[in-house]
Amino acid sequence: MIWVTWRQHRAQIIVTAGFLAVLGVLLLGSAVEASRYVAEHAPPGCPGPAVACGEVAVALGRRYDAVYSVFGWMPLVLPALIGAFWGAPLLAREYERGTHRLAWTQSVPVWRWLAVKLSLLGGAVVAGGLLLSVMVSLWRPVFRTGVDSTFGNIGVFNMVGVAPAAWWLYAFALGTAAGSLFRRTLPAMALVVAGVAVSMFTLFQLSDHYAEPARAELSGTVLLDDHDARLVRAAWVEPSGREVAEPAGTGCPRRVDVGQSSRNAEAWQACLFGKGYRYAVYYHPPSRFWRFQWTEAGILALASAALGALAVRRTLH
Amino acid sequence: MSPGLEVTGPRRAPALEVTGLGVRYRRTWALRDCSLSVPKGSVAALVGPNGAGKTTLMHAAVGLLRPALGGVRVAGEAAFVAQDKPLYESFTVAEMLVFGRRTNTRWDGAAAADRLAGLGIPPGRKVGALSGGQRAQVAVTLALACRPDLLVLDEPLANLDPLARHDVMRSIMAEVAERELTVLLSSHVVSDLEETCDWLVVLNGGRLQVSGDIEELLDGHLVLTGPDGASAAGTRVVGASRTGRQVTMLVRGAPPLDPRWQARRPGLEELVMGYLRSPESAALPGLAGVGA
Amino acid sequence: MIEFTLDRGSGVSTYLQLVHQVKQALRLGTLRPGDQLPTARQVVESLAINPNTVLKAYRELEREGLVEGRPGMGTFVRQGVAGATLAEHTRLRRALEAWVRDARAAGLDQEDLRALFAVVLADAAKEGVA
Repeated sequence: MIWVTWRQHRAQIIVTAGFLAVLGVLLLGSAVEASRYVAEHAPPGCPGPAVACGEVAVALGRRYDAVYSVFGWMPLVLPALIGAFWGAPLLAREYERGTHRLAWTQSVPVWRWLAVKLSLLGGAVVAGGLLLSVMVSLWRPVFRTGVDSTFGNIGVFNMVGVAPAAWWLYAFALGTAAGSLFRRTLPAMALVVAGVAVSMFTLFQLSDHYAEPARAELSGTVLLDDHDARLVRAAWVEPSGREVAEPAGTGCPRRVDVGQSSRNAEAWQACLFGKGYRYAVYYHPPSRFWRFQWTEAGILALASAALGALAVRRTLH
Repeated sequence: MSPGLEVTGPRRAPALEVTGLGVRYRRTWALRDCSLSVPKGSVAALVGPNGAGKTTLMHAAVGLLRPALGGVRVAGEAAFVAQDKPLYESFTVAEMLVFGRRTNTRWDGAAAADRLAGLGIPPGRKVGALSGGQRAQVAVTLALACRPDLLVLDEPLANLDPLARHDVMRSIMAEVAERELTVLLSSHVVSDLEETCDWLVVLNGGRLQVSGDIEELLDGHLVLTGPDGASAAGTRVVGASRTGRQVTMLVRGAPPLDPRWQARRPGLEELVMGYLRSPESAALPGLAGVGA
Repeated sequence: MIEFTLDRGSGVSTYLQLVHQVKQALRLGTLRPGDQLPTARQVVESLAINPNTVLKAYRELEREGLVEGRPGMGTFVRQGVAGATLAEHTRLRRALEAWVRDARAAGLDQEDLRALFAVVLADAAKEGVA
């Protein structure tokens, strides 16, 4: 059965492995190039407060953006592709071509056929996701040490840690289940693409509730001094200590800003702070990275198991 | 000659036994109240119009679907060649054989390779590039390489040219001559089965109409031709057709006494057609004994 | 060795066709005592018929004492067809040829000849002399 699985799915396996290899080369090349640039241009004492250090940092940021823009779409598109080309055809193509009547009438029982295929391909998908995560995790520090971590940007968050593996596995399970329901490859592929997009949006919304948000009371500014935190919500705190969404009857003039300017809003905020108001921010600090990673992976793994069970049930009838 | 091919002698043990089988797709019954048995070593023809339940019965026999009622028992291992001979298009012929070896506990790979070589089918050719006849031969070879006790073939001759039909049938019959192999094959073209089958199962509208030894069935039936009004007392009329003052009937039992009848033994096709035209008639061992 | 053929449209059952062909071969001398008949598998491989049909035909021939099955070896011819010898066969054939020429001269065509022959054969069978 291992040979059968390899022979039937080798195209997907080879293409995915090839893609990861090309991506690895690209990331390695970009990291080596950036390191060389730093070695050549950064004067001693960097990173530090010197002007030259700032210039190097800006140049590094530009180098990072160039490569990041190439794979910025990966967190969404890769799982969708995995689901569409690994998961959807697994059962749908057998039904579509009638070969399930060949495959499931040999002496290997259907449950074993399913078990071998799901575990081997599922395992390969998880391995691929982890490999992507390792490569991105090794590459990012070259550019982003001290700039940001991998928590606040949901796109980056989904490409490091265990998230890619979980998303790939989930998409694979979703595709397999869709294939067992539709018994047609194309509709199953379409469902996977839509399903992955919807799931990602839903989990993003849900992620605020993975933990009780931390609370910080700010005075004099409405900006949290942590670029990488995930903001959940914010509110004004009256001098009495009561939280309100919109301060009313404060006596501070509020005017609408025109164009890009935020002068009026800033003036209003300064007036409020002057009258003893404070600004409460609810947020998740970057230190919760692994907690969030494992929570999301746990949800996706459970969903994958449920979808896998659905596919198995549908297939065994 | 192998010793397991006695035609006469004691009744052979069943290779396939179906009891009270009922299969339902959503609300409609594809097969109802179906009980039959096919003796070991026979080549059984499963005939009936499209939608009669032939494929359903076969799928139940090879475990592709779970019946709602009743059960199917196969003595030993069954191999199945589904309609349209599904194979993996992107595999080469040799890879299909590896597929068979990897997915079966019993596997005679040498015999399979020899058969395909004998048929001149190149092992390196992609399945998708085979002719219809070659494809059928590869599918049959895969099924035979499992050394099954029961070979189930769904419309094995459909979409084949006459030469390929002959070749496929030769392959199957040679295997039957070689060892104790029971074959159940479906077709809606009765003439395909005339020389090859010795057991007949007729399905019609999801119900079993005929099941029995072909020779005994033909011996037990008569085609009567005579004037309208002649008495056919003593026989059981399966079906009748009238043209003008002449009546042609398919009956079971001894020739009637009325001397105006001309009686002859029916052909297989006549027998099958006679039953299919009269869905309410049945010739089943359980009802009156085959060839009463 | 004899090679069987099949006339699928004849209406004669397959096993009877095999029996007739063996008898015909015995009459014509193409099969002689001691000769082996093809195995069921060989017949089946060339004609695509049910092997039981071949065995049934061989059993019928065995019952008539024309052939014998030797376990593990095959089926062999025991004796020629009783009745007409080869010489007699030739004599009768000559007479029939003469009769056919006669009938042709009388204006009968191929179909008339066949019908006439069939009728006489059937009548003779009824009287029990065939």
